[in-house]
Parts: sequence; C-alpha cells; structure tokens
Amino acid sequence: MNRQLPVDPVALRDEVKAKYQEVAVDPHGEFHFHTGRPLAKRLGYDDSIVNPLPDAAVESFAGVGNPFSLQPLSPGERVVDIGSGGGFDVFVAAQQVGPEGRVVGIDMTQEMLDKSRKTAADMGQSNVEFREGLIEEMPVEDGWADVVISNGVINLCPDKELVFDEISRVLKPGGRLQFADIANGATVPEAARSDIDLWTG
Amino acid sequence: MEQAGFTGVQIGPPVDTFSESGGEKNARLFEVYGYAFLAHKPE
Repeated sequence: MNRQLPVDPVALRDEVKAKYQEVAVDPHGEFHFHTGRPLAKRLGYDDSIVNPLPDAAVESFAGVGNPFSLQPLSPGERVVDIGSGGGFDVFVAAQQVGPEGRVVGIDMTQEMLDKSRKTAADMGQSNVEFREGLIEEMPVEDGWADVVISNGVINLCPDKELVFDEISRVLKPGGRLQFADIANGATVPEAARSDIDLWTG
Repeated sequence: MEQAGFTGVQIGPPVDTFSESGGEKNARLFEVYGYAFLAHKPE
C-alpha cells in the first residue's frame, strides 16, 4: 500500500546510515545526542548490568530511554532488537534471558554490525546474533519472538504503520513490544516534518 | 500501535534525553522527551 509519508524513506535511511556510521567508528565524536556509559546512566540502566560490559559494547550506545524499565525480560525468552546499533541493548537483554534465551539484533548499518559482531565474539556471547536488515522487512520468521525491543529507532522510520505491522508479524501471540523512543509535546510544523535534517538532528 | 492490534499500552515517565547535548535546543522547541513503551500482541 502506498501511504503519504512526510519524507522519502530511502533518503532518510541514507542520512541515518551516515550518522550511525560515525557513531560506530568514532563514538566519542560530537553528536546532537549523548552516547555511551554517561547516557546509560542518564537513562537509568542498572550499573550492575552496565559496568561489567566492555567499552566496545557500550561506547556506541545512542538510545533515548530504557526499554527494560517497565518490565524486565525473563530467562529463556527469545528477543529481537530492532536497530541494534553497537549491540548495547542486545548485551543487556542477553544477561536477562540467560543461556537458555536468545537475542537477535537487526541493523542496516554495516559498521554497527561489524562492531557488534566482533564484541559478541570477544565476549564469548553465544546466545546473541546480529543480522543485516531493515525494520520494515525483518529477517526473522513469523511468530519467532517472545519480545521485540527497540531504542530510539522507530522515530526514524516515516511509515510507523508498516513498522508496527512488521513487529506484530515476528511476535508470537501473547508476545510483547517494549521499546523506548522520543515523542514531542509541541506540534511540529509541516515544513519541519518534511525536513530530513531535523529527523536526524 | 493500537492500529496494528497491540493492546494494554503503557507509557513510562518522560526522560530528559537531550539535556546538555547538542540537540537540546530543538528538543526544547518541540518539547521532545524519551519514553518507555510496553504493549502486548493479543493471544
């Protein structure tokens, strides 16, 4: 179905990729958002979970909230993290679901995938996997996941209806979606809604 | 979310995600905060 979208999704995707390539390669650079351990602390992540993680697992974290704050994951659950970036939330989830659980991170940025895969290998984290893909068309079979998580990613997709339909497809009946994202209290003018630079910065 | 069939939507308290960052000015302009969301796919 063709829906009227505020911006060209392909052009926006290219902008987002360029931005997050920088965050992967130069995580301590200048961005319009916080990153890494200071951000995790600001967002209320438990120090006992974050502190043991190696720097590579945390430094490219660029979330906007804490998707585990309303409900923690349970041992043995299957989890999909959409827009997994450098893998921070995947590694947090992996601790919560334990060795009987499984966490699949999905990202479209090659530099983030390279980084998260190397970190997982270095950590010997065997219950995680990172797949290349778009969240509008996830490389995950129907009904596989108990939980879908995400952090600061859905706001970067102009077609929210498509994204939520796709999340529903990969969740099993009774599964849950727990994510963090931004929302605005003031009305955003039409001109700003169609300005790609404002979507990414 | 509800259009896609999700139920029992919960929203956590706002978090001042962009405070003291380069994005603070635009965040203040549009009253942007981070939130946690929880919703369920029906059985």
